[in-house]
Amino acid sequence: MSSSSVLEEIRRAEEFLVVGKGVWRIDALDKVTGRARFTSDFVLKDALHVRLVKSPIPHGRIIEIDAERALGLGPVRVFTAADIPGENQVGYALPDQPLLPADKVRYVGEPVALVAAPDEDLAEKAAELVEVRYEELPAVFDPLEAMERSDVLVHEDRGTNIAEMTRVRKGNVERGFEESDVVVENTYRTGHQEHAPLETEGAVAIPDTQGGVTVIASIQYPHLCQRITARVLGLPHSMVRVIQPYVGGGFGGKDDMGPVVSAMAALVAFKTGKPAVLVYSRRDSFTSTCKRDPSVVRYKTGATRDGRLKAIEVQIILDSGAYANRGPYVLWRATMHAGGPYEVPNAKVDGFLVYTNKVFEGSFRGFGNPQVQFAAESQLDELAERLGMDPLEIRLKNLLRPGSRTITDQLLESSVGIYEAVKLLGEKTGFRAKWREYRRERAGRVRRGIGIACGYHGISTSRGVPDWSNATVILGRDGSVTVETGICEIGQGSWTAHAQIAAEVLGVPVERVKVVGGTSDAPDTGATHASRGSSIGGIGVYVAAKRLRERLAEAAARLLECDPSDVEIREGRAFRRDSPDDYVEWEELVQAAYSMGYEMSATGYFFLPKGKFDMERGLGYAYPAFSYIANVAEVEVDLETGKVRVVRVWPALAAGRILNPVLVEGQIEGAIAQGMGYALTEELKFEDGRMLNPNFTDYLIPTSLDVPEVEAPIYVEDLYEYGPFGAKGVGEMALIPTPAAIMNAVKNATGVRITEIPATPEKVYFHLKEAGVVAGE
Amino acid sequence: MRAGGGGIVVRFTLNGREVEVTTRPNATLLDLLRNELKILSVRRGCETGECGMCTVLVDGLPVRSCLMLAPQVDGRSVTTVEGVGDPERLHPVQEAFVEAGAVQCGFCTPAMVLTAKALLDRDPNPDERTVREAILGVLCRCTGYAKIVRAVRLAAERVAGGVRE
Repeated sequence: MSSSSVLEEIRRAEEFLVVGKGVWRIDALDKVTGRARFTSDFVLKDALHVRLVKSPIPHGRIIEIDAERALGLGPVRVFTAADIPGENQVGYALPDQPLLPADKVRYVGEPVALVAAPDEDLAEKAAELVEVRYEELPAVFDPLEAMERSDVLVHEDRGTNIAEMTRVRKGNVERGFEESDVVVENTYRTGHQEHAPLETEGAVAIPDTQGGVTVIASIQYPHLCQRITARVLGLPHSMVRVIQPYVGGGFGGKDDMGPVVSAMAALVAFKTGKPAVLVYSRRDSFTSTCKRDPSVVRYKTGATRDGRLKAIEVQIILDSGAYANRGPYVLWRATMHAGGPYEVPNAKVDGFLVYTNKVFEGSFRGFGNPQVQFAAESQLDELAERLGMDPLEIRLKNLLRPGSRTITDQLLESSVGIYEAVKLLGEKTGFRAKWREYRRERAGRVRRGIGIACGYHGISTSRGVPDWSNATVILGRDGSVTVETGICEIGQGSWTAHAQIAAEVLGVPVERVKVVGGTSDAPDTGATHASRGSSIGGIGVYVAAKRLRERLAEAAARLLECDPSDVEIREGRAFRRDSPDDYVEWEELVQAAYSMGYEMSATGYFFLPKGKFDMERGLGYAYPAFSYIANVAEVEVDLETGKVRVVRVWPALAAGRILNPVLVEGQIEGAIAQGMGYALTEELKFEDGRMLNPNFTDYLIPTSLDVPEVEAPIYVEDLYEYGPFGAKGVGEMALIPTPAAIMNAVKNATGVRITEIPATPEKVYFHLKEAGVVAGE
Repeated sequence: MRAGGGGIVVRFTLNGREVEVTTRPNATLLDLLRNELKILSVRRGCETGECGMCTVLVDGLPVRSCLMLAPQVDGRSVTTVEGVGDPERLHPVQEAFVEAGAVQCGFCTPAMVLTAKALLDRDPNPDERTVREAILGVLCRCTGYAKIVRAVRLAAERVAGGVRE
């Protein structure tokens, strides 16, 4: 596929029949009727139920695991590290994470053994009776302390608690600050965030007749799940088959946890020869799955009098908890996005990923980016304040445009729509007038404020890490269309988008297309993460469908006695462009093509071209494309309670072609709610590493009464040359700037800058009190 | 209801059909529906009454089935989403959920549909605030609730407007 010709073709197209339309989800009927099946619905009759035995201490050596009392209860089996036939290693970025630890535990809630029994109650009881003796070790919980200490090590063999360091060195920051008229410096902190998918993590493993195992699990990447499970069992990959049923929310967590939970269930199935079911309780889902990394970000920004950014110096510290998991990649993403979507000529960024004795962290919508954008976007408002500018003006002065370079010095030639998006957003919201008005007013108990924040997010994997798309499209003799992909449907709607792409290219109604995804039987399409499901995942579908379309055009040309280039196929009919009444029905065409000897299945593979990245200086080609977002948030702050109510949010998105506006709106509305929870209420509390609030009563995700009104998004369709029909990624976007937009609005309302999220009512109240905005007692 | 041998016999109406089933006295309604009767649209989200995924209608009102003991439904009427509509005959609420894009991962959808139906059965023309209050007990992590609220109001308009039913 030559890129320029594809882009040309997309631009030439005047209209689409399916793409860009609010096509109904292909899975909606299954879901509204309750017929959709999730992992825990696949419990076979003779299945063993699996429960976790979890560590009650944050750090300690395992002296002995005594299962005698548990085994005495009846038909109970207990599995520990010693039972793992393959490699006891599930670490993603670094080989530091056992499936079940053999020597020591590193956080409260770490699974140390698995208990299996024919019924749930027995498994539960038996798990309580497994006695584990530990020799407690001193623990470290604060990442700033952990990075300095070498006497308490979460992983002794590494000799330090720093798991990874990253850097960007662009230009000369010393000179940049010298040339600045104003310099602003602050420290920002963000907390843990729990994914809280309503369906908890789970896997059902079924032994097959050839010594392998089939796993049905709540996952985001079947082939990764296959690799990790095979590694743990010591089997060739081909002996592990992974199937994703419907998944009740992922948000990144199931990308990381899917393989772990699958490997646990598979271990039991493999050792017992019986089907095994492991479904995490809500409590397990809180205590023993990865979270969003808490962060400390020290941020210094310099600008000239006229508001041009000159330099940034940023230190990012991510608390990785007990294991690195995806942390090194999260940190790289945070590092490379530290500047925000702005032109910054001089940048120095240092990132540190630090081990502590708390639950480990990992992938979560935004992947390190929300933490740094919170800091970067708060900084920008503080800078504007010092310069006497308004928040919109300073952004418009510095936003990336086609031809700009990022802080890693990557040249952005095209597909950079953020400037236009922000301009339109400012006009639509009447931002300047409101911002001035609220700032002037600042009276009464409930104060109103408005804030803006931007964000950008590299689509696909970071740096030179290979990325590709891969799909198969098969035409049945009855004219039915099957798309096979490794992309998972986790609620975002990628399978519907895939069906739209196939339908548009082939010229059939979307109802004809069936998508078989999320299984290791389909081609390895990479993970459903990094906002790549529909965008990168869809390229393979586009390429494969295009191949079939060409073959069908040839076949139709023979039937219609014309040149293939004169054939049009749309809405299930092939006809000559100059005489539409002279047509062949789709089924007839497919059957004829079969008879003429055309291959009616095609694979679509596309390897993303990427440039070079210099790891030493952190410079070069970071991502094939960026999506851009800006949110304006309007809030009310109750000075007496400290409660912040987000009244309304206006989003503006530059993510290339909008393949399905209803799906995209759904992603935006959901991401804003999740971002609001992250900013205001979602707080995990720990005491000596023990989580104090592992439930929905004490950990508050937004309810129907908490969420703001979300206005219809502004779309700037800044087409991306390799994306299907020019689409870029959407899923993560609207969460990224939401915390900063809210806290910038709080500042507008009260005059007080809050640099720490979640900004719970208590925290807000005390900040306001400290600043003298509310009278103290 | 009568106790016998290994458990308690419970008789109730499930989606319009009489059911008689023997269950453990300490089984929850959720256990009974999911494990014994294989009504898999009733979902386990927390088992502590916090998330609302296991919502069913008992005598027309939303109940968290993880908090109710199975024997408590003796002589009563239980409705799950299977009793609301099927692909050939969708209930207006289900139809509106499809059309308004109110479905994402689908895990909370049956609970949402049932809660919305119960609302519209007693208040055919709820304002937005009323809808939000009605679904307060069912969490959704995907949609931000916007399209769910829109769908419920769309269904109300149709029912009230005599377009359907």
